[in-house]
Amino acid sequence: MPVLLGTPRKGRMSEYAARLVWSEVEKRQGVETELVDVATLPIPVDDAGEGAKDPELAETMNRADALVIVAPEYNHGYPGLLKHVLDTNLPEYIHKAAGIVGVSAGVFGGARMIQNLVPVLRELGLVTIFWDVNFTSVHSRFDEDGALLDETFLPRIEKFLDELLWMAATLRYGRENVPLGGSA
Amino acid sequence: MIHTCPRCGAETNHQADKLVDPTSRAEARETTVLGGVLVAVFACPRCGWIDSRRNRAEDEG
Repeated sequence: MPVLLGTPRKGRMSEYAARLVWSEVEKRQGVETELVDVATLPIPVDDAGEGAKDPELAETMNRADALVIVAPEYNHGYPGLLKHVLDTNLPEYIHKAAGIVGVSAGVFGGARMIQNLVPVLRELGLVTIFWDVNFTSVHSRFDEDGALLDETFLPRIEKFLDELLWMAATLRYGRENVPLGGSA
Repeated sequence: MIHTCPRCGAETNHQADKLVDPTSRAEARETTVLGGVLVAVFACPRCGWIDSRRNRAEDEG
């Protein structure tokens, strides 16, 4: 279950949120995870879609049963580079679970970004869950070293991951055992 | 449609057909009544690997 940090912006607070969620995923028994940072992916910008596919990222997404996306809200939308990166794969995502963690400096916690991102994920074949994590007022949630200051986020992340792992396991069974147009 | 896993050789499960826009003039010429190109997606029940194949128009039946 990779955790995708969806912004390259300098001074990004989403990195703290992503590292926190990633550390919580790592605590789950039997779950392999890695932090994938859009800022360091070798994805060209002179092409798009599967033409810009990075083999290493494609392999990660192929092996994944679920994807966590941690992204800030920029001008009510998702970061452009996140969309560019997501678009480089397609079959690797299909019938896999996705959960979104929104981050914002304001009171909405990335809610408008999430609303805009969900239809994109749907078109990519991902199955979004009904739990989100919303880091509102993010500058007050972490200290300067990235340590969480508000532990009320931990049970929210726990519920989010519970649901995501359930969906991941269910969809894995379906991918591998339920034929298209048929039944198990 | 029998498809085997390119990683481990097991027979895969045809789990999805995804309609995508054509990415070339050649694919656009093959676009059929569905309005795009079908990508057939397979999952391996042995190793979990995902494989896919862009279907030619004549495969669409």
